[in-house]
Formats: sequence, structure tokens, C-alpha cells
Amino acid sequence: MQRTRREILLFMGGGAAGAMLTPAPWRLVTDAAIWSENWPGIPRPARGEITARYTNCALCPAGCAVRARCVAGQPVSLAGVSGGPLSLGALCAFGLTGHHLPYHPKRLKQGTPEEAAAAVRGAMAKCGPSENIAVLDLAPGRSASWTYRRAMAAVANGVYLAPPLPLGGAAVNLAKARIVLSLGAPLLDGWGTPGNVHAARANFRLVQAEPWESRTAALADEWLPIRPGSEAALALALTDPKTAASAAQATGLTEKQIAGLANELRANGPALVLSADDLPEAMALNQALGAWGQTLAAGSEAPLPDVWKKAAPERVVASVADNSIRVLFIDESVPGSHIPWSAVEKKLVRDNPVVVAFAWSLEGYGRHAQFTLPTAVYPELTGDIPPAVDSPAATFRIAAPLVAPPAGMTDPSAFIAKATGIDPGNALQERADAIYKSGQGTLFTYADAKSTPLKDLKPADFWKSLNEGGAWIANAAVGQDAILRGDCQSPRGPIANRPAGCLPANLPHIGSLDTAFPLPVAFSEPQSASLTSPLMSKLYQDSDLRMPPNTAALHPDTARASGILGAARAVLETQYGRCAIGVIPDASVPPGMLAVAAGAEVLDICGALTRAKVVAA
Amino acid sequence: MKIPVYMPFLAGALAALGAGWVGFPHAIYKSRPQPVDFSHKVHADKAGTKCEDCHAFREDGTFAGIPSLSTCAACHAAPMGTTVAEKNFIDRYVTPNREPDWASYAQQPENVFFSHITHVKLGQLKCEQCHGDQGASDKLRPYQVDRISGYSRDIWGPTLFQSKAAGTVPGMKMDDCVDCHRKQGLSHSCLDCHK
Repeated sequence: MQRTRREILLFMGGGAAGAMLTPAPWRLVTDAAIWSENWPGIPRPARGEITARYTNCALCPAGCAVRARCVAGQPVSLAGVSGGPLSLGALCAFGLTGHHLPYHPKRLKQGTPEEAAAAVRGAMAKCGPSENIAVLDLAPGRSASWTYRRAMAAVANGVYLAPPLPLGGAAVNLAKARIVLSLGAPLLDGWGTPGNVHAARANFRLVQAEPWESRTAALADEWLPIRPGSEAALALALTDPKTAASAAQATGLTEKQIAGLANELRANGPALVLSADDLPEAMALNQALGAWGQTLAAGSEAPLPDVWKKAAPERVVASVADNSIRVLFIDESVPGSHIPWSAVEKKLVRDNPVVVAFAWSLEGYGRHAQFTLPTAVYPELTGDIPPAVDSPAATFRIAAPLVAPPAGMTDPSAFIAKATGIDPGNALQERADAIYKSGQGTLFTYADAKSTPLKDLKPADFWKSLNEGGAWIANAAVGQDAILRGDCQSPRGPIANRPAGCLPANLPHIGSLDTAFPLPVAFSEPQSASLTSPLMSKLYQDSDLRMPPNTAALHPDTARASGILGAARAVLETQYGRCAIGVIPDASVPPGMLAVAAGAEVLDICGALTRAKVVAA
Repeated sequence: MKIPVYMPFLAGALAALGAGWVGFPHAIYKSRPQPVDFSHKVHADKAGTKCEDCHAFREDGTFAGIPSLSTCAACHAAPMGTTVAEKNFIDRYVTPNREPDWASYAQQPENVFFSHITHVKLGQLKCEQCHGDQGASDKLRPYQVDRISGYSRDIWGPTLFQSKAAGTVPGMKMDDCVDCHRKQGLSHSCLDCHK
């Protein structure tokens, strides 16, 4: 039977129409979409036994206790440890996504350690008598830090550099505070140990004095909108009422408001004063309010092995002569404070200094170093976490690795120890042994939420528990063997009688800054160049809930005065240099200031108490 | 005889409907038998076991899913009856201590987070509400998997013709989850399941 072309086309048309009335095409579309999500090469989550492992988060000095849910040994989710005495079950958003970091696309995977070691040897050999070999440790107080200090003590002209400790090394006891005056400190936005802060929050009244309504200001009991850069003047007036008139002029508050606040701080104590940049005026106010011994105490570290005590002193970068550092090691393997690169750079000798950075990404100082050696990143790394600023007692916690680091990673301690000819030993275990010998304090183990006095443990059990998720906490009083931190290292008599408290050293006073840069800089995001999980940037930065790095928000009037109204990009200039930034006009930022989200480039030119100006790109 | 002009169109439509409704569902799935001839009914009726006796929660609240061999061997280290199925099970798996290669009908894809304990203990859902009346089944159905997507057939739920048929299970697609959450007035945001 002959079929015409018309009949065949009609048959095909009918088939197509009929197919539309069946599940086949729709199901094929769905299946093809699902199939396209499963290309070869897409990581497959492991399948296997589900276990829980415990460690301590090494992403900030809070060192929160972490419970990792692991499938076939691979951590798939992180959570806080309920009952943990230091972090009280909390884990911040950065900590919750910490297990993504080893897979960050910007992870540094290769380095040239042999070439770096040869360059260091050569530079050390020709180091002159007035030149230095230095370690810049961005997270001081760790056992690795003591290895660096020992290494620097072992070489001629060795210098151990670290950023100033918060509050000069003092520790805050928030649980005792009944009123807290925060001079721009991000108390409810990542300051200290978040779990501890939020647990104590119900018991104190929070007064936030800050030019703009930051997240902490929005959550405070009272927000005092003061003029940008007037925090020191307010603190001074609260200490010495004779300056109230000038403070009123500087801050924009009335004298009556200042007097009322001063009375409130004195009447409703114990009081505590915190400031974003550790202003000396804030510490002096604490002294005047009798905070020492109440809400503030000398911060202390866990006991040390005796052989470690021959160590180089801790110094700040500013204390080193310009053009004097021949070899500089920078350890940024764990996130820590940031010092503007320009402040570091001017300390280097002019002719061929050797800078070796230990980092897990190229976002920090690695951009400026001759050699950047890749390191393990949390949760691969093994190291201890120094006591947090809000921990009145000395603590010792180990960030035990949840996953093995990839091949080719450099251990900064081992590298520096080898370069300086000292034996790094097993610093963590040696310190654990020293703590055990002190016989004081308790060990809290995360798996069973149990506190055990140290004297009831055997040394091997203590070490094992520390590595399986635990925290040693000293007795409340500063132990005889504890090491006082920061400027509190040489107490002159009882702490309460110390005339000036533990004033932070080498901080520039606001009045001494160059007025060519009229805009005070407030950091709206954490001051760290360290990368966070890419998932975090999708949830926060891309959605404008948090500003992306290297961005500044400013009032439209400020933008107009700076000649950048309507521009999406501009140039930020400070006394340290200039860099390109994104600009967001925001009427909630008061005129005359910048709210800046830190990024590596911004941190290169912005330190504490920075003033800046913005100009057209 | 002259064929009406619409007949080729109708024939094409009918052929496509037949292929789409009858042939396609057979072609899209490949099936394999379960490794053991297991009867839920015998275990539920004769041994009096409950779902959670074998499909238990671990101490940390996670769901163990299909029981491991050790759970089965706790009762069947030696034959308890005279059936061939039990004898085969002991000979092939218990004696050589080899885990049966069970296929999970309800295996959700990798991008779904589902907490059994939240639904069973907090939500008070019965197992049958999602898994159908497995306790009444005398045989294990062959495991059917979509050739393209790799999803179990049970995820898609019953076909149009078997929505009320015995032995079928409700679907476990995203829409099914969302429907139930909507009815209960519960949260159904993306991050609830896709963490």
C-alpha cells in the first residue's frame, strides 16, 4: 500500500501530539536535568559509617568547641558542642562552614620550600650587625608562637613580632559585668567567644557609642550616635568630668548625656568599657571605674615547659627600626590580626630582603612575599588555640585535624626551627606535659561533656583527650605557673594597684593622625584577610546582607563632597597607601565617615584608628 | 477504500500514547532483584517485630536505615524455621559473614538532607506514610532505578493507574515533601532540605 508524504507527516504530527499527552517527554526533560547535575567529576559525598568527632575551631581566637558529623571519616557538617564550658554550644556562621576551607578554589597548593630555605640561608649569612631576622606571628600565644620565640632567641638579632594583643593582653570577665560601654566594639557581632557573649548578654546593660547603627548598635540597649572619631574624647570625659564640655562638642552629645552616662557607669557596676581599637582612654576609664579585678583581669596562658622560657620577647612591628629586617617569616597559616603591609614593608632592608609567608591562600601577605609556602588549613592543621579575650582563666585547646592535609604542605614551625637550628620537638605534647605537671585545672571532654580534675588523670589520658576534643581550663585564679600575656607580663604589685592598668603599647592616638585624611574608617566586617567558605560569600556577600570585601559604604553627602556620587568604584587613600574599592551609597552611614568591609587590599592600607579619603577612580 | 485524512494523525497519536504510557515506563527503568527473599509480613506477624526493631535509630539520633547483617544474624545465626529462603540467607550471607547488597527503595539523592528522627519522633509520622505498607508485603519487589537520573522508582511515587493499588508507596519527590509541610503549616524553605 502506497503511503503519501502527506500521510507520513500527518502520522508524525499525530505521534508528536500524542507524545505530549504522555509522561515520556516531560520525564525525559526532568531526568536530563537531574543527569546534568551529575556530571563525572562532581564530588560525590562519601558513604559509610556515620561518626562524630570533636575538635576546636581554629578560625579565630575564640576556639569554639566543634562536633563534626563525619561520613566514612569525612566531616560533612560542623556544630557546636552543647555543654562546652567556653563556647557554650555555639558556633558562628564561619565556624559552621569551616570544613569547606580545604576545598576553597583559592587554596594555595604548591610552593618552593627548598628554594625558600636556600634564600633564607643566604640572607642569614650576609645579615649585618644592625640587621634583624624576624618572625611576624599574626596569632601569638600558640605553642607554635613559642617555637618562633625560641628560634628568634637562638639567632643573633632575632626579633619576634606580633600584633598588639586585644586589651593589651588583659582578659574580660563578661559574666561579672552589669553594664558595658562599647566604644564601637562589635560586641554582638563576632567579638570574643560568641557563645559566651550571648550567654552573658542577659545580665548586662549594653550602651553602644558609635557613629553609625552597626549590628551591635542595633541590638544594644542604648545606642549613642556620636560623631566619627570622637570615641576617645567620650572616654576621656567619662574619666575626667572636667573635659565634658569639649567632649560634648566633639561627640555631638549633650553634657547632660555624658554626665548621665558617667553616673550610670559608676552606679550600676561592675562596669566594663571596650573599644574597637583598644583606645588607651578606654582602658584608663576601666581603671577609674574599678574594672580591674572585677570585669578585667590579667590574661594568662597555660604553663610552659621550662626550656621554652629562653625566648625572644614579644615586640610590635612599630618598635623595630626602619630598613632593618633582612629575613622576615610571616605565619598566617591561621587567621589572626592584620598589620598593613606598608607598615611591615618599611621595616625591610632596602637591598634584597627575603620574605617568606606561610599561608593557605594568596589573599594575605603572600601577595608581597618572595616565597609563599602552602600550609594546612583548618580543619587539617594541628595546633593549639590561645585563650580568648573573654576567658579569664588560662586555657589549652588543640585544633585536632579532621582531615589529612594534602601532600606538599609546609609546617611553619618546622621550617623556621630548621632555618635557625633549633629542635622544635613536639611542642604541643611538651606543653601538655607542662600543664599536667602543674597539676591544676580541669579537663572538659566534649564527647561525654564531663569535667575531670587534672590530678585524677594520667598523662597519656590527658594527651589523648586533648586530641580527641577537649579543653583544659585553669583554676579561676591565675595559676602560679601561668604565663601572663602581653603588657601584663611584668605586673608591679597587685593588679588592682597598677596605676595605668595594662595599657596597649604603641597605638597611635587619634589626635596625632594626619588630618589630610578626613574620614574615620569603621570596619563593618571582621578585620581579616582570611578567606571564608565560598558558600558563606553566596549567602552573605552576594546578597548584600554583608558587604563584600574591599567595599566602603558612605553617606551620599560624603560621596558628593568627595566627588564620587553615582560612582560604583573609587580609590581609598590612607597614610599607608591607596587601593581601589567598591562604593555603596548608604544614608544610614553618618556623613563624614566610611564603613569599610575589610579585604586583603583594604587591610594593606588600613590599620587601627585609620583615617582615609576617597577620590574618583 | 479511501483513508480519511485524519486517520494517519490519529494513528500516530495512538501509537505515541501507547508507547508513552505503556512502553516508556518499562524502558526508562531497569530493575534488579533484592539479594534475599525477605518477607516483612512473616517478620511482623509471626515474629511480632516492629519496624524500629530492625530499622533503628543510632544513639546519636541518626537513622540506621537497612539493618546490617549483624542485626539479622542476632536471630538467624542458625535457622529458626524450615524455609528455603532462610536457609539460602544463612548459607550465602550469615555463615560467610557477607553483607547482603540491599538496594534502598527510598534512597534520596545526595543533595537532600532528611532527618528520620525529626519526622518520626517529633512529627509523629508513621513509617507507612512515606514508605507505604511495607509491613504487609510478603515479598520484596524488584528494585527499579531510573536509567537516566539514577533515582529509585519509589521516589516518583505511583503511576496514574496505580495510585490506589495495593503495595504502592506514596511519592518522595520534593513536591510531596513540600505538600505535606504546607498541609501541616511547617517551614518549607530550600535550606530546610538542601543544606
